[in-house]
Amino acid sequence: MTDTADIVVIGGGIIGCSVVYHLATLLPRDTRIVLLDRGPIAGGTSGSCMGHLMVTPDTPQDYAFSATSVRLWQQLHEQVGGFEHNPTGALYLADAAEDLELMPILKRQFEANGDRCDVLDGKQLQDLEPGLAADLPGALYYPGDGVVLPMFACGALLRGARAASPNVVIRPGTGVTGFDIQGGRVAGVRTAAGVIQTRRCVNAAGVWSPELGTMAGLPRLPIYPRAGNLAITAHHTTPVRTQLLEISYLRFAHGAATVDPTKTDEDPGGHAVNLQPQSNGSCLIGSTRQFRGMDRTLNPELLHRSLLRAQRYAPGLAAAPIVRTWVGLRPYSLDKHPLIGPWPHLDGMWIAAGHEGLGISLAPITGLLLAQQMAGVATAVDHTPYLPGRIL
Amino acid sequence: MNERILDADVGIVGAGPGGMAAAVELARAGLRVLVLDEGARPGGQIFRQLPAGAAGGKIAEPPSHHHGHALLQQFGAGAITVRSQAVVWNAQPGRLWFEQEGASWLLRCQRIVLAPGAYDRCIPFPGWTLPGVITAGAAQVMVRGFGIRPGQRALVAGTGPLLLPTVTALLAAGVRVVAALEAAPRLAALKALPGVFGNGARLREAFWYARQLLQRGVRLQWSSAMFACEGDGVVRRAVIGKVDRHGRPRRETARTVDVDVVCAGFGLVPSIELGQLLGCAIARTDVRGGWCVTVDEVQRTSVPSVLAVGEICGIGGGEVAMAEGRLAASAVLADLRGGEVPAALRARVRSERKAADAMLRAFPPLPGLYELADAPTIVCRCEDVPLAKVREAAELHGRDARGIKMGCRAGMGPCQARICGPSLQAMACGDGRVPMDAPVVQVPVKAVSVGTMLAAPPG
Repeated sequence: MTDTADIVVIGGGIIGCSVVYHLATLLPRDTRIVLLDRGPIAGGTSGSCMGHLMVTPDTPQDYAFSATSVRLWQQLHEQVGGFEHNPTGALYLADAAEDLELMPILKRQFEANGDRCDVLDGKQLQDLEPGLAADLPGALYYPGDGVVLPMFACGALLRGARAASPNVVIRPGTGVTGFDIQGGRVAGVRTAAGVIQTRRCVNAAGVWSPELGTMAGLPRLPIYPRAGNLAITAHHTTPVRTQLLEISYLRFAHGAATVDPTKTDEDPGGHAVNLQPQSNGSCLIGSTRQFRGMDRTLNPELLHRSLLRAQRYAPGLAAAPIVRTWVGLRPYSLDKHPLIGPWPHLDGMWIAAGHEGLGISLAPITGLLLAQQMAGVATAVDHTPYLPGRIL
Repeated sequence: MNERILDADVGIVGAGPGGMAAAVELARAGLRVLVLDEGARPGGQIFRQLPAGAAGGKIAEPPSHHHGHALLQQFGAGAITVRSQAVVWNAQPGRLWFEQEGASWLLRCQRIVLAPGAYDRCIPFPGWTLPGVITAGAAQVMVRGFGIRPGQRALVAGTGPLLLPTVTALLAAGVRVVAALEAAPRLAALKALPGVFGNGARLREAFWYARQLLQRGVRLQWSSAMFACEGDGVVRRAVIGKVDRHGRPRRETARTVDVDVVCAGFGLVPSIELGQLLGCAIARTDVRGGWCVTVDEVQRTSVPSVLAVGEICGIGGGEVAMAEGRLAASAVLADLRGGEVPAALRARVRSERKAADAMLRAFPPLPGLYELADAPTIVCRCEDVPLAKVREAAELHGRDARGIKMGCRAGMGPCQARICGPSLQAMACGDGRVPMDAPVVQVPVKAVSVGTMLAAPPG
C-alpha cells in the first residue's frame, strides 16, 4: 500500500501531538499531515510522566521559552479544551539550612525576569499547606506553574488538529521501519503497513529519536534516556493541594546533570521529591533521575529514597495506599536543551526532541516554533538557540 | 536481625484448596511451610468457612465438599504456619513481601507455591453499578463467609457452571430466587455431559445441584440474560430476556422482574499478577478464563523455584486445585530431597483438568454479552469511565490496552484493571475478536501504604 503525505510526524507523544496541532492550524487546510506512532498515542514518556508546567528562570532565554510555553498551555486549555489544566503554582520546599540558601537565588531569578514569587516562612507554609511537616523552615511559592494531565493533553491536541484540518491522519500502532532517500532528501517513510511518500518528515520520537535517525543513515542523535521512578497514591488521599518540589531539585535536574549520559552503568542516580496532587485526589510522587539505557524496570532503591523524602515533607502520606509504581524515560539532550528545527545533514528531515523532564511544559512552544519554521514564517520567540545544527 | 523477617522452606500464597493441599503434603514430609492468605480463615472461595459463632448456620453443600472439610481438618492439624489477612504485594524468587495488620513483613523461602485463585469476571451492563447488583462470588462471600442474606428476591444471571452454587447458596440462606438465567444455549448442558460422565464425583455433584433446584422450584432458563438493572439508588427491577447463540441480547424479548438483589456470574479470571511479577511465563487460554501462568507437567513455572497450582494456571475448580497442590508438593519434595514424582499424582491432575476443561468448553465466552452495555454504561468503575469514552479512546489513541488506558484512564484506578481489564478491549472495539493484551503488573501488585513499602525489610 502506498500513501502520500505533505508531512509525516513520527512520535505520538506530547511533542508530536503539539507539532501536528500547530502544523494543522498554521498550514493551508489541504496539507496532508500523517502522525505515526509504533504504539498508542501517549503510550511512551508522555504516558508515564508528571505533567508539571514549569517555568525555569535560570537564564532570560530559558525564562522566555518556558514562560511563553506555560502561557500557551493556558490558551490551549481555553481554545481547544478537553484536558485538565490546573494553575496551582508550585512550592519549592526547603528542608535543611543549605536549601534555604537556594531560595533567594531562585527568587532573584524570577524577579530578574520581571516575574514574582513569595518566600514563605514555616508558619506561612503551614497556613497554606497544613498537611506538610510542621518543622519545615520555609518555602518559595511561585504562582506561575501549573499541571496538566499529559495523556489527555495529547488527545486534546489531536482533536484540535482534526478540528482545524480535515487532512490530519492519526495512525497509532504503525511503526516506522525505514526511510526512502532520493537525491539527498527525504522521499518517503516506510512502515509495516506500507510506504508513505513524503518530502518532509519530523522526528518527534523522544528517547526513541536516535533509533529513527540511525534508520535514515544519519549520525546518532545526542539524546539519552534518563529514567525516573514514579508512584501514585489512591484517590482522595493527597495531603497537599499545591504541587511541590524540594528546592534541592535545582541542583540536579535539567541543566544540572553531572554524569556522562553515555556511561549508563556509572550513574548512581539522584532524587528530589516532587509531589503533585491530581484532580481525583491521588498524589503523584516523583522524581528520580538516572542514566541506565532504555531499561524501564523499577529501581527499588531510588523509589524508596523518593518515598522516604515524600513522607518527610508530608507525613500523612505514610497511610496513603500506593496504587502503582512505574518508570518513565526522559529524553535528555547532551547540551541540556531541546533540538527544534531542520536536521542539517538531510533535506526534508526535521527534529523536535530532547526536552528531558520539561517536555510537557515546553510542548506548545516547541510545536509552534517547529511549525513556524516549516511554514517559513517569523517565530514567536528566538528559535536559533534550539536549532539542531548546534550539536549535530 | 529484623524481627519482621520470617524463614520457611516453602512459602505458599493462598489457603484455598490448592494451597492447603500443597501445605498439608509438604508439612507431612517435615518441611517448614508458611501460608500467606488474604482471607480471615483458611478455605479460599470454595471451602469458605463462617466465622465462629456467626449467624446463618450450616449451608447445604454438594457432596464433593467433604473433600474440603477433610482437607481443612488436615490443614488445621498439620505443622503449618498460617498468616491470615496477609496481603502479598511484592515478590522475587525466594522472597515474598506482605502486609498484615498494617505491619510490613518479608518471608524468605527456598520455594514459592502460588495458589492465589481467581477473580469474578465482570461484564458491564446498564445498571450494574447500582447497589444491590453483586457478583456471584460476592453472593457466596456474603452467604457462606459471613452468614449474611444479600436480599429477599434475587435474580441470578450470567454463564457457566458457577451459577448453580450461587443459586443453591442463596436458597439455603432463605433468599427467593426469582429467576436463574444462563446465557449459553440448552445445548451447553449436553456438551458438558462427557466431562461429567467421565468423572464420578462431578456426576454426583451435577445431580445434587439439579435436585436442589428441582426441590425449590427454580428452573434454569437457558439462552437468557439480564439486559439492565433499574432502581432509585438501589436495584428494584431487572430487565431480562433471551440472547442469541453468541450472547447478543434479543431486545424484543425483554421483560421486567422485581428484585432487590442481582447476582451476576460470568465465570472467573485467573489471578496471575504475582506470577507475572515473579517473571513467570504466561499464555492465553480462553477456555480457562484468559491469561494463565504456564506450568510444566509437575506444576513448575518458567521461573526456577516458583510453582503454581489451581486457578492461576487456568480455571478448573477445587478438585483440580487440590490435585495440583498435591502434585506441586511432590515436585518440591523431589527437587529438594531427590526422588520421583509419583505418576499417579500426574495422572490425577490430567484427569481432573480434562473433566474441568470439558465443562468449561460447554460454556465458552459469549462475545455478544459485551453488547449489553450502552454508551453511558460505566465500564471502569474506579475511574468512572463510560463505554462511550472507552470507544473514543480506542479510536484516537489506539486499540491496545495501553492506548485505551491513556485515552480515558480506564484501568488506572485502585483495582488496576482487575475488574474492567478482561473486557475492556473487546468492549472498546465492539466485535469481541480483538486480541486481549496481557495485563501489566507493577509493584505493589495489591495496594499497600507508603508506610508499608518504606518499612519493607530488605530482601
